[in-house]
Amino acid sequence: MNYNLNDISAKQQKASTLTILKKLLLLIREERKNLLLALLAILTNSGLNLMSPFIIGYTIDHYVMHKDYHGVLLNAGLLICMALAAFGASYTQTRMMGGVGQRMLFKLRNTVFNKLQELPVAFFNQNKAGDLISRVNNDTDKINQFFSQSLMQFIGTLATMTGAGIFLLVINFRLGVATLVPGLLIFIFTKLTSQWVKRKNTASLKTTGGLSAEIQESLNNFKVIIAFNRRDYFKKRFEEVNNQNYVTARSAGIANNIFIPVYGFFASMAQLIVLTAGIYLISTGQFTIGLLVSYLSYATNFYNPLRQLAALWTNFQVAMAGSDRISHILNMESNLPVLKEMGDQKSNSLLEFRNVHFGYPGGNEILHNINFNLERGKTYALVGPTGGGKTTTASLIARLYDPVKGQVFLDGKDIRTWQPDERTKKIGFILQEPFLFTGTVRDNILYSNQQYKDYSNKQLEEVIISANLQSLLAIFEKGLDTTVTSGGESISLGQKQLIAFMRAVLRNPDILILDEATANIDTITEQVLQNILNKLPKETTRVIIAHRLNTIQNADEIFFVNAGEVIRAGSFDDAVDMLLQGKRTG
Amino acid sequence: MAKKGAAPADSKPKGPGISSLLKPYKGMIILLIFLALLSNGINLVLPRIIASGIDAYPSHYVVKNILTAFLSASIIIFIFTYLQSIIQTNTSERVARDLRSQLAAKISMQSYAYIEKANPSKLLTNLTADVDSVKMFVSQAIVTIASSLIIIIGACIMLFSINWKLAFAVVAIIPIIGGAFFFVTKKVRPIFMKGREVIDKLNKVINESILGAALIRVINSQQPEYDKFLLANTEAKNLGLSILRLFAWLIPIIVLTASFASITILTLGGHFIITGNMTLGDFAAFSSYLSLLIFPIILIGFMSNVIAQATASFQRISVILELPQLPDSGTIKDALQGNISVKNVSVVYDQKPALKNISFSVNSGSTLAIIGPTAAGKTQLLYLLTGLIKPGEGTVEFDGKDINSFNKENFYSHVGFVFQDSIIFNMSIRENIAFSDKVTDESLAKAIATAELKDFIDALPDKLNTIVSERGNSLSGGQKQRIMLARALAINPKILLLDDFTARVDNNTELKIVNNVRQNYPGITLISITQKIASAEHFDQIIVLMEGEILATGTHKQLMAGSTEYIQIYNSQQSTSNYELQS
Repeated sequence: MNYNLNDISAKQQKASTLTILKKLLLLIREERKNLLLALLAILTNSGLNLMSPFIIGYTIDHYVMHKDYHGVLLNAGLLICMALAAFGASYTQTRMMGGVGQRMLFKLRNTVFNKLQELPVAFFNQNKAGDLISRVNNDTDKINQFFSQSLMQFIGTLATMTGAGIFLLVINFRLGVATLVPGLLIFIFTKLTSQWVKRKNTASLKTTGGLSAEIQESLNNFKVIIAFNRRDYFKKRFEEVNNQNYVTARSAGIANNIFIPVYGFFASMAQLIVLTAGIYLISTGQFTIGLLVSYLSYATNFYNPLRQLAALWTNFQVAMAGSDRISHILNMESNLPVLKEMGDQKSNSLLEFRNVHFGYPGGNEILHNINFNLERGKTYALVGPTGGGKTTTASLIARLYDPVKGQVFLDGKDIRTWQPDERTKKIGFILQEPFLFTGTVRDNILYSNQQYKDYSNKQLEEVIISANLQSLLAIFEKGLDTTVTSGGESISLGQKQLIAFMRAVLRNPDILILDEATANIDTITEQVLQNILNKLPKETTRVIIAHRLNTIQNADEIFFVNAGEVIRAGSFDDAVDMLLQGKRTG
Repeated sequence: MAKKGAAPADSKPKGPGISSLLKPYKGMIILLIFLALLSNGINLVLPRIIASGIDAYPSHYVVKNILTAFLSASIIIFIFTYLQSIIQTNTSERVARDLRSQLAAKISMQSYAYIEKANPSKLLTNLTADVDSVKMFVSQAIVTIASSLIIIIGACIMLFSINWKLAFAVVAIIPIIGGAFFFVTKKVRPIFMKGREVIDKLNKVINESILGAALIRVINSQQPEYDKFLLANTEAKNLGLSILRLFAWLIPIIVLTASFASITILTLGGHFIITGNMTLGDFAAFSSYLSLLIFPIILIGFMSNVIAQATASFQRISVILELPQLPDSGTIKDALQGNISVKNVSVVYDQKPALKNISFSVNSGSTLAIIGPTAAGKTQLLYLLTGLIKPGEGTVEFDGKDINSFNKENFYSHVGFVFQDSIIFNMSIRENIAFSDKVTDESLAKAIATAELKDFIDALPDKLNTIVSERGNSLSGGQKQRIMLARALAINPKILLLDDFTARVDNNTELKIVNNVRQNYPGITLISITQKIASAEHFDQIIVLMEGEILATGTHKQLMAGSTEYIQIYNSQQSTSNYELQS
């Protein structure tokens, strides 16, 4: 399956704006009450705003012209009440819509992050961390900006415009139609340019993702850059993506800015029409000056929001481009679904590989027709030269990938039929490269451990003693409370491996796989680990991947893995022979 | 934020900061403001034209002139605004690009310790979201505010010229609105700062969940990851809502004040008309100017959001921009000979002593192995030798001269470092190995042959040009390790530092590689951290390091005769029979 997000857009049908909007609106379906309230506030606000020019015009025609100051004051009082009501409505509208926007951003980020958690390891191998971060944070924020800041304005201005349009038509139909013609032209112009603008913005967001990916990679590997004196190289690579970003962002900016002058020009044209036609109508006696003043107000009311709409429309296009990029993630499906139990194929071993073939996407086949069985309580060793397929075999046991052909059986059933929580409970896999989360040693060894998570430190220490892990914990200055950072240098690689080891042992798995898991640990501590492994419950199966022979000496069975084949070695000496020979021929 | 209390009278304490950033773009910005001034100035005339049109309606001839004036004014406005928007985009994008470049240049000159402390997630936010806020400020706020101010001032002048008494009543709204701005922006700035920090946190959680993707799937910890994200995201949401609560007041207050102004015009203006002190056309113009006045004020209201965000972001960025330039005090450009001596060095890391009073020396062309338990400080020692960390006490000398007195570029071109953790960049294998621009094809080939990578690379579809994925997921541990070795060798180093290189490479390959190095790089000084005595046995010197202290130094023979710790390590690797006794 192709998980490369930057590769996908070409093939995938571009979702229409409407479907994207629909999806986004689904996120805020529980907000119906708030949205309704906001809409009510918006309508009230716009209605009140529309009423006041009318009242002012009326006051001029009926009271000012007739020198009735009392009427003027009366209407002024009315206007004050309306202004106060509009104040309340406007506040409510901002609060409600802003709240909806924030909650939508919240949900959207959660949804994207959740999706990331559902996707398999293969997805992460094909995408860059920085690009993904950019999608989760930056692109969602673009959508939020539209929804929280612009959508309410959008609706508000639409409402104001519709109202103003109606007033224009009602007061004088022909003049109204003439006034609205530039509006129609704007509509056509917008329709024609929108796709182009969105495309420019998509390109811009993509280079932003690329920029983020570059920063992420360089900064996380900064020590290499220093030690090889490649600070200039870092700068050069950065300059490159920075420039790309500049170019696309600039053309997106120019595209985005086209709306404002165009809208402004058409708005002026409308005023010109009103003025010309209005003066003509007045001269023919069909129109009053008071009406013309309020008519001009309405025209302004119609076209001023339109100017705002120009800015909003830009925001809208940016948001659509952002949600395109997000929906690329949301449309991804895990290629490791849980299958229904078929019951026709069984295995008697704890773990069995049956005619397994495997290759990474886009690469050559790495494992060819692998068959082996692992029994409960035994210790197995996988040995072989680097690049021979040991880690890949172990990854299939942990179902980080599925075989291309053939089946893997866990505890009698096809591994694909196990629920993830049950499967991961059975399999402990200490990865070659230990990973720590920022936190304490305790956080890390109990990570996702349901059994002990609520234990106090004291209780936990007892558990650690009963699992014979206390001497490993003693290596850490402050024991369980020692703080560790994910990328940091505060603890050594060997110590990270120890934490990973404790984490796996405390999960009491049926099968414990150690993938070169002790490579950076000194041999004395390694003996301690060996001892701990020996004291694991009798029924625990151990799978040890190593090239250091002393770590596999007391394996019950040794498998020799080379060139995509797994061969059972008769004895320890047999394996040593194969290792030497394999090196010579391979 | 520390200054917040100190300068309460100054409404924009951070203003000079951002404007100093804009200095190089002075020309562009002046042009921009000039254009904005022009188009807005003409905009101001429009209501006047309308007013004279209304007043002059009986005369057809005048009306025609007026209409022509109106039309030409609109066209000029169109041209100017479009020109303005292009310049505006150009300037803002250029500011963003240059700011990023400056930041990257500054960051690239920092020490490793700084990057670790500043934490890459935060630097990522600095380079992306923070720069974007500043860009937004340039692209939207400057012109908007400049032209808004012009319109406001212009409209005020017009108002005064029409009827100063009425104008006074209308202009009274401005201080009210100004006060509201000041209050809200002041309150909101610290929240914006916090908002940025939450984004750092979000970045971090996402980052870890991506880098640890395999582990998360192995132990099925998607839920706890989600919970962590939820926590940070909830915080982000709450901050967003509290910013909203403040800003939600702003626009309604402006609009309310504006409405009061227009009511004032109606009542007072109406009074003036009734008493014959004002014409109807003037009244209409007055109303138009008021609506002209309100829109820019509202815009400034929106912009205050942008400004508050930009000042918060710029404050974060300036912290980096104001970092002292790391002095490259070193001037020595002599080629390194490979003599190293470390004298009484102590290092404190994270408040813990990592190395205590270390002294040793290595002669050019000789070999040194460092052996010792996990967390003994071995890696720190190598970092010390490459200047990645600085000694708290004592000195590190190469060829009798302090490490700091060497020109950095010169120094690093003679030292090859193979890190313990595999660091592979998402580029071709060639670029990964020829990481320095001084690498010739010849030295590249030699490095590849020495690291026993030739067969592997030849078997790849695109050979040297094969792109390896980020974090090197398509390579096995041993392959990555050997690529890193080739990277270090490709610069033809005088000194080679290996951090636990033997851990991921099998015995046979290791043996071959060691022989290759001896043959292809004669006279190289080799310092190797290792767990295996078999690898260190033939080294000229072996140091036993434990808890940051040197316990013993000597050849294998000497140590076997005198160091109990060394013998213990030796025994642990000889047989498996005494496992039970040891622990």
